[in-house]
Amino acid sequence: MISWFYIAPAQRPLFSVFVSALFVLALCCFCSLLFGAGGLSLQASFQTLLGNGSADAQFTVFHLRANRTLVGLFVGLTLGIAGALMQAVARNPLAEPGLLGVSAGSSFAVAITLVLGASTATLTVGVAQFGALLGCLCVLSVARMQGQQNDPIRLVLAGAALSSLLLAVTSLLLLFDQRAADEIRFWITGSVAGRDTNTLFSVLPSMLIAIICILYTAKPLASLALGERVAIGLGHKPQRVRAVVIVAVALLVGGATAIAGPVAFIGLVVPFAARALVGPDIRRTLWLCLPLGPIIVISADVVSRLVAQPAEMPLGVLTAIIGAPVLLLIVRSRRMPTL
Amino acid sequence: MINQSLSLPNNEEITTAPNGHRLLSLGRHMTLLIEKQAIIRNVWLLILLAIACVATLGMGSMPISPKEVIAVLFGHGNVMSQFIVHDLRLPRLLAAIFTGAAFSLAGCLMQTMARNRLATPGIIGIDNAAMAFAVSSVVGMGVSLAPSAMALAGAATATALAFGLAGGSGTRGYRFIVAGIGIGAIAGAVTQLLLSQVSIDVANSAYPWTVGSLSARDPMMVKVLGIGLGTCLVACLFLASQFALMPFSDQVITGLGANIKHIRIIALVLCITLTGLAVAVAGPVGLVALVGPEIARVLARYRGIPLISSALTGALVMILADLFGRTVLSPIELPVGIVTAVIGGPYLIWILVRRTSRTSL
Repeated sequence: MISWFYIAPAQRPLFSVFVSALFVLALCCFCSLLFGAGGLSLQASFQTLLGNGSADAQFTVFHLRANRTLVGLFVGLTLGIAGALMQAVARNPLAEPGLLGVSAGSSFAVAITLVLGASTATLTVGVAQFGALLGCLCVLSVARMQGQQNDPIRLVLAGAALSSLLLAVTSLLLLFDQRAADEIRFWITGSVAGRDTNTLFSVLPSMLIAIICILYTAKPLASLALGERVAIGLGHKPQRVRAVVIVAVALLVGGATAIAGPVAFIGLVVPFAARALVGPDIRRTLWLCLPLGPIIVISADVVSRLVAQPAEMPLGVLTAIIGAPVLLLIVRSRRMPTL
Repeated sequence: MINQSLSLPNNEEITTAPNGHRLLSLGRHMTLLIEKQAIIRNVWLLILLAIACVATLGMGSMPISPKEVIAVLFGHGNVMSQFIVHDLRLPRLLAAIFTGAAFSLAGCLMQTMARNRLATPGIIGIDNAAMAFAVSSVVGMGVSLAPSAMALAGAATATALAFGLAGGSGTRGYRFIVAGIGIGAIAGAVTQLLLSQVSIDVANSAYPWTVGSLSARDPMMVKVLGIGLGTCLVACLFLASQFALMPFSDQVITGLGANIKHIRIIALVLCITLTGLAVAVAGPVGLVALVGPEIARVLARYRGIPLISSALTGALVMILADLFGRTVLSPIELPVGIVTAVIGGPYLIWILVRRTSRTSL
């Protein structure tokens, strides 16, 4: 394992990196079941995992903690993949669903339906996904409109502007409606705790579509990374590939947002870590994003339970604290000399 | 002999002003160069501001006629209107004027210094950091400093971090801005973290402040802001000729005999002071800093750096936004931060979308 550090990222064996990441993920899931805020001691949790615990302990470990681990798994998976896809299609290491206002579009759509009378329990995932699609299209068209060569920072600024606008309108909507504000207050901070796992099953069909989209686009995206002309020369259709990827991103981000609320910076950190481990090829990065996303979300969730006992810290806060330094690191890196 | 004939007369002083300007001499060694157009522009803005003030003082759930408002301001009028104007509406109006002027002036300075229209204190995270520090003193994390002082410390910290992390690129370019966006995100997360640690009552009372509102201001902090704003305005007047050099390149500024580092540090200190004190009063209403200077620049036809005009337009924008939020959906009161975000967001997108810019800014 140590010898990996001497190999260039692009030459590392994908299979062994992937398997070790899976091993770390299993460890994270185990920790997530073991640690927690509240009365249950570490030993009692361990005993419960081994099969002999009280009914209370069993409920805590196998229902409460298992559920949030499952939600964390799903959110990490979707947001990590969405981030990698978005960065590939925008050819911009800063493109991230949270920063670019895709999550904000999704929460805006959810807020509208809540004001119109839905409740978070019966929330349809489709609404969140539609909002994410609109947000995605908005920010990409804004960034595309000035007709210059792709400017990474401009995209982020457009996303920041779009996010702040959508968030302001969202809070404006919630001012009128006390019920909707109460419903959304716990959802909008972004957390994996106390979420309804039934929503997970309603998301699955759209995830299937997203997986098909990704399988279709992985190869064209890899050639698109070499430039638009090269991709055309290799027989791909960049416009169509982009459209398919945007649909996939919207499905993934909308699904994650519908379940856990907006969680920022996951889509930035995960592909960044994946590229550092296995190099820039999107086909390799995507594989590694699968275990890395859940690793980061679940470990952040475990930390958020432990640092502020007996209360919990919102997950969104922790991901921002992890993600913002990574953002700075990317901006400072020598690969972005045009800034 | 040769020396004498070549040297300039020692006691020659500049006595003629350039076209459209006027010289105002203060003492023997100091003169102020004043642009006539700017004076006219600012007088008009002041008149507009006065009209807006009278309108604001009169409007609300209990309307008072403009005539009555003016009478009350001069000490006449009945007791009820005196109470409403003096005790309820005037403090809020003053807070609006001060914060609007402070945010806008800080924005104008920062934009000029960074030569980038997007570089306002709100976008590069100074607002959020000031907010996080001020909230920490409000929710009582064992710090007993006044919120104003804490907000100042936060603003200074954020600026120092943004500069440090942007590396050698200085204030120029976009790297500085993205570093600021990251710092703003961390500071926002810290604010949320602090608010999640306290009881729900304290968190609820701090909420309007975190989105930017004039309803929860502290009279002491308004006074501090007033003093700070006055000092900074006077400083800007005297340093205007130095700041006017900032749009040029570093080499030109040095060639003209000015010290670019000093100018930048002074401008930054003014920015930090203004932003920190204003955030302590009204929370992060940073988009005023984007809109106010732009209006001033249009009015000045993109000539020079309209510092005073920016302060005036900022105050005007803030008053109107607050009036809008207060009256349009009454009895619900929209926080002024939300109103400015709804106005400023599309404007920000427009800046990014349009293809050509008229000036380098």
